[in-house]
Formats: sequence, C-alpha cells, structure tokens
Amino acid sequence: MSRTDLHPMPDVAAFRRPASEVMRLARMGCSHPTRLSFLRTLLRRMRTEGWRIDRPVWEVDDRGVGHAVYRVRGGAHAYSLVAFAHDLPDEMRSDRVIATAWDATFTLFDGEPSPADIERLRANVPLQEAGRVTTRELTLARANRSVRLVRHVIEALSEGRQPDLKEIAAVGYLMRTTAVYGSGKFGAADRADIADRPELAAPFQVEMLTVWLIRAFTVDIVEHMAAVRGGVGAVRLDPAIRRTLGVGNSTGLGMAPFVVRHPILLNNWMMAREEALARVRHQPSATPEAVTELRRVLDLAIRNAAAWTSEHPVQVAKLGDLRRDLDLVSDQLTRWNTGQSRPWDALWRWGAGTLSCEGQEALLSLMLEPHGDLVDDLATTMGADEAAAFRLDGAMRVGDLRAVLADRYGWALAIDFTAPENVARFWYVSEEKLEPRLGERAIEEGAAREQPLCIARLASELEGTLRDYPDDAPVATVLLAHPEHRFMVRRAQVARFHPYAEVRDNLIAADMLPIDLLRSKLAFFGATRFDPRSDRWVRINLFQGAPYPDEIGSEGPR
Amino acid sequence: MTVEPLDQTRGDSTPFLNGARTAALSRNEVAALCMKAARGAGMSWGLAEEAGFAAAWLVQHGFDGPRYLHAYLAEAQGRAWSDLCPTVAPGEWRAPEGRTLCPVSLGATLCDHATLAEGLAEGCPLRIGPVDHPVLLVPFLATIAGAADIRIELEWADGSVCIGGDPGDLAGAMDGLAGSAALSLTARPGPARAPAAAASPPIDADTIAALNALAMRTTVPPSEASRAGAGSTASDND
Repeated sequence: MSRTDLHPMPDVAAFRRPASEVMRLARMGCSHPTRLSFLRTLLRRMRTEGWRIDRPVWEVDDRGVGHAVYRVRGGAHAYSLVAFAHDLPDEMRSDRVIATAWDATFTLFDGEPSPADIERLRANVPLQEAGRVTTRELTLARANRSVRLVRHVIEALSEGRQPDLKEIAAVGYLMRTTAVYGSGKFGAADRADIADRPELAAPFQVEMLTVWLIRAFTVDIVEHMAAVRGGVGAVRLDPAIRRTLGVGNSTGLGMAPFVVRHPILLNNWMMAREEALARVRHQPSATPEAVTELRRVLDLAIRNAAAWTSEHPVQVAKLGDLRRDLDLVSDQLTRWNTGQSRPWDALWRWGAGTLSCEGQEALLSLMLEPHGDLVDDLATTMGADEAAAFRLDGAMRVGDLRAVLADRYGWALAIDFTAPENVARFWYVSEEKLEPRLGERAIEEGAAREQPLCIARLASELEGTLRDYPDDAPVATVLLAHPEHRFMVRRAQVARFHPYAEVRDNLIAADMLPIDLLRSKLAFFGATRFDPRSDRWVRINLFQGAPYPDEIGSEGPR
Repeated sequence: MTVEPLDQTRGDSTPFLNGARTAALSRNEVAALCMKAARGAGMSWGLAEEAGFAAAWLVQHGFDGPRYLHAYLAEAQGRAWSDLCPTVAPGEWRAPEGRTLCPVSLGATLCDHATLAEGLAEGCPLRIGPVDHPVLLVPFLATIAGAADIRIELEWADGSVCIGGDPGDLAGAMDGLAGSAALSLTARPGPARAPAAAASPPIDADTIAALNALAMRTTVPPSEASRAGAGSTASDND
C-alpha cells in the first residue's frame, strides 16, 4: 500500500504516529481490537450486503456425533461450513498442536457441498493435519469444548432453565478453536486464487467466517444435546445470554512469526490503523453524535475491562493500567472542550501525555468507533500482494541501501550483538511438529538451524558487509559475493517503501516477550479477553457480543 | 479418527498422498516445501526463497517444479557457493572451471542484473554456463521478460525457446532443459506474452518424500525445555 492508495488529505499525514513509536514491541503488546479488525470488517460486510445464512443440514445423533452444514450466500459466491461433531474421550482433549483428536472439526467449503463432497470431507477433515483437503476447501479448523461450561449449559437447558450467568461470564465460550488453517494448507485453495473476490480481499476473511459459523455450531450442538437429554422440557439458550458467548481460541508461539514473515501485510495493517487515527485527529470539529457514541463505547470498554481477567502477572499489571486509564478518560470527557479547534486531536494529545501504553491504545480504538464513515474504507487497504513485491532491485546502489538501513533499522544497528543478552534466544522449527519455538542459545541445541526471524541482527550484519563496498556499487554485486544477505536485502527494500514493516525490537533478546507479538496480531483479528497463560501462549475470545446468523440481518450497520 | 502420530506437520509425507502415488499440492505448499528443502540442502534463506518461487511458478504453469528442483538439489547439495557462483561480465557469464551453475542462483542473479550493463541487453547474446537443470531458470527469465516487456531467446545445443513468445512453446521445450547445458540468451523487442497458467500437475510421492527429507534438515529435534514453554502443560479439560 502506498500513500496514494489511501487518498489522504495531504495534511493528515502530520497526525500519523511515527513507526519509531508504533512498532515497538511493548506498545504492540498493548494493542486493542478496532473497527478495522478483520472480524469487524466481515460482520460489517455481511450486514450491509444482507448476506443470507441458513443451516441446510443437521445430521447429529443422540450422542452428539454427526455433521452439519451452515450455508452463507452473499456477493457472487456461496460458502458452507461443514462441521463434524465427535465424541471425544476426556483423556484425548488437548489444545496443543500435537493433539490428534478434537470435539469438533470443520472446513469452509467454497460453494455448496454435494453428498459426495461431504463423504470425501468426512474421511479427511476429522484427521486435520493427517488428512487432505482440496482447492474446493478454503479453511481447515477444529475446536474443543469448555468441558465445564458445556456440561453446565446442557444440564441447565435440559432441565428447562437458563444457565448461571456467572458461569457463562467466567468462561465466555462453549468451544475454543485450537487451529484455523487457510491459505493453501493441507491442499486447500491458495489465497491468490480467491483474493480477487471483494468479500475476501481483506485479510483473514475466510478464517473469520469459519470461526463465526463455528460459534453458531457451538450453540446448536449444546441445544441439541439439551433437547436429547431433557426432551420436551428442554429450553433453548436465551438470545441475550447467547450473545455474550464467543469462540475461544488457544494460540501459541506458532502465530508469532507470521507478523515477522509478512512485512508488507504488517505494514498495511499498521498503516491503515494509524491513518485512521490520523484522520480522526485531523477533523476540525466533533459532531454531537460522535461525542455521544464515544461515551457509549467508553462505557462498554469499562465494563469489558472489569470482566477481563488473567492470572498472568504481566497481564494483571496491564489490566490495572487499563482500568485506571479508562477511568481517567471518563473523567477527561467531562472536561473535554468539544468546541475547540481539532477537539479529537486535543483529546489524543491529552491521552498521549497522561495514559500508559495500554490506555493510549485503548483510546485509539475508542476514537475510531464513532467514525466509521471516515475510516472504514481503510479496511480495503489491509491486504497485500506479496508476490508483486518479491523481486528485489539489484540496481539499487549500496549508498541508497545504507541510507535505508540507517533510516529504517537505526534501532537495530545500535544493538551490540556481542552481548549475550542480545542474542540470548533463537527461533527454530521443531522436528516433532514443525511448529515454531524459541530456544535459549546458551543452553539448548539447535542454534545452527536458527530461523531468520532475528531481523535486527541480520540488518546489523548486512550493514557490516556493506562497509566493504563503495556507495555507487549496485546491490547485485554485493549479492553475488554474499548470498547470505539476500534475505535481508529483500526485507530492507520492502521496508524502504513500507515504514511500518518491521517490529522495531530485537526478537532474540533475553527479555523479549513473544506474547506481545501475539497480542498485536490477535487485536487485528478482533480478539478480546487476551489472557496469557505463559510468556508464549494465550487464550482469547472471538465474536463475543457479535450477532448470530439469525440476528445479523435485522441489525443496522455498525 | 486417527491416533497415529504421523502427519504432514511432522515431516511425514504419507498423508499428502492418501495412499496414492501422487498428490495435488497447493502452490503455497509447493513454495513452502521447496523453500525449506532448498535451505535444508544448503542454500541461504534468500536463495531458498527464490527456489520456492521458481517451483511454485512452474507448478502454476503446469510444470512439475518440485521434481525439477529436487533433481537439482539431490546433485548439488553440499557444494560451496564458490563452486556455484558465476563470473559475471557483459556478454558472458561463466561457471567456475569444471563446474556447472546453480539455476536458482543464476536466475536470481540474472534478475538482479536485469537493468545493469552485465545483464541482458537487447540484441546482444549472453553466453552462460554450463547450467544444471536450466528448466529452473525459466521462471526467472519469464519475470525479466515481463518486467521489461521483452522476449528472451533461450538457446542450447539442440533446441531453443522464446520466453515471452508464444505461450504454447514452453511445454515442448521443458524436457530439453532438464539436464545440464551451456546456454545463450538474447533479448528481443516485446511485447512479452505471459505464459499461460495451467492446472497444477500431480506431484510424485517420491519427490514429496525426498523434498520433505531435505526440509527436515531445517528443524531441531525436540527437547524437554522446548516442549515445556510451547503450550499448556495442564489439562485442557477445563
């Protein structure tokens, strides 16, 4: 994405935060979902385009085993979630990627599956990584139940009563997904083959659609089991309670390298969000409607922060910051002079000078909420044609590359990589599951097979090699002698035109927190209730509070 | 439901195949598998990305990129960069004495030099070689042809093909480019015609298994320390 793609008002750029501020890991680790988050984009499109959703197949037996199809028709295409419900013994239930069986498995089918498709999928989808799908499938996913909440809800509904709200609130979902694969994994359709469909152009739309339909399935299967057990005495889940249930998700280190491996995507996500903030700050005045909406979403955020729990010490401290900061914002709104010139910028500047990172990023999200008309078009700029940027420019002069390194990687060049704490970790891929992991260089084997995620050090090494070359030498000459720098030269050339492409912290430092990478990415998905269970894996919630398929048509755009 | 611990994310290629002798791989899988295999065979990360690009390009145009890449990697792995790196000069890119050039490195280097004096110039033949499995060079030449809107005459001892010319010509030339050959490249005025996309060919079981074996060389055996931090160690029956 270039600036021209954004159609910016020329002086809006002055209100954009610099990458040196935005791309620090500590700040990325305070990210909040916004109205540009991918699940919000999907929900908006489904509402405004009036997508029709139904469940043409429900073949689930009294043990809760069988399959169902959820069909979505909107735009020029139909999509169908094919869900397989299983009877999983407790001892096999694991959220780890090493699991081999799940409570339910899913695929998003491109179109409407025939009975033959269903049988083909039945032979493969329940196996997940040990099966194969085809280019007719867009995603592959699985979910495990919250044993405690599912048991409670089935029991209550089967006895003709609604579940205990405290139990519902304590968990927040009936099932949690443990993987949602897209982009050609396990034989599925390549992203490039579907990216030109308007409804799938924004990132992760098939994955978000999959999870949203899984959410409907989790309620349906629980109501089904309650009906099996309670017969005519059973009741369905109260829609108001149902609304508070999202889909949980367990995510580990496997997700962290994505934002490093896809620098153009990362740039475009960040650029869209920062441009949105800049547009809001740039406005000369505040409409009463926008101010009212800000107060409304602030109240929601305060309630969300109160209900958001974690046992992880880092997150406990952040939640303390968030709650305090939201109260400060609430106080500030009573004093906020909405009649002044550029009142939104004044509010932002107050926040930047007063609030913690956690509160500032929350304020950003709140300030975007009332401004859909102003910022929602940016959602269309968040995809990336990475293949188009793959070919590097060998004619670039070494002097220019040096300048790019100084400008975009100055933070990296300042790091002393002879100090043990700055090379304390190494990213690698595990032999047993091909999943990314983080090792301790001093005590673990395997650093010789390090993944190229140590961008700061790679930039530093490239800069060292360039010292041997004159400014007017072409980069092609350097690469001919030093093929080991090809990876970093490509990145640097991307970063030249994509200011938000790089996380500006040392990803192999002793004190680096992988959960900060996870939080940033998950916020762009639209995840809430970020709950780290260690410094490298988390649980989150998706679609909590969002409409269900039977509700989405009756709601106004938001 | 299986409880077998074998699956594609463990480097086992059996599930790719579902019992068949071939499998349909997505281009994303081809690019990822070939990139890892090339790295496992000793290429730098940046060149391994080029190998993934080349294999995926070939598959997108109906050619068995993984098979060609594996054939090259099987022969070339372990060779030092100094044995693979061309001597670059206007009009002639030579292989080191008694050696053959790596088609992936050569292709990437040709792209790097595309607008420089040492690169392809219209009407001036560039003699190159000898080159191993020059079929893997085709994706790079197609990139150069498309970017500069030129056609590239690729000639070897007993054949020739025009990259950017009639899209149908390519298929007939691929077998002739599968061995090793001294090449001559000549840029001609465009317009360049893009090679036609085609259905991905099925990939042979042996090719997948062999590339997987190379790819596994980029991975690290498990340790208790690495497993411990990766996810939940408690029960997930909560």
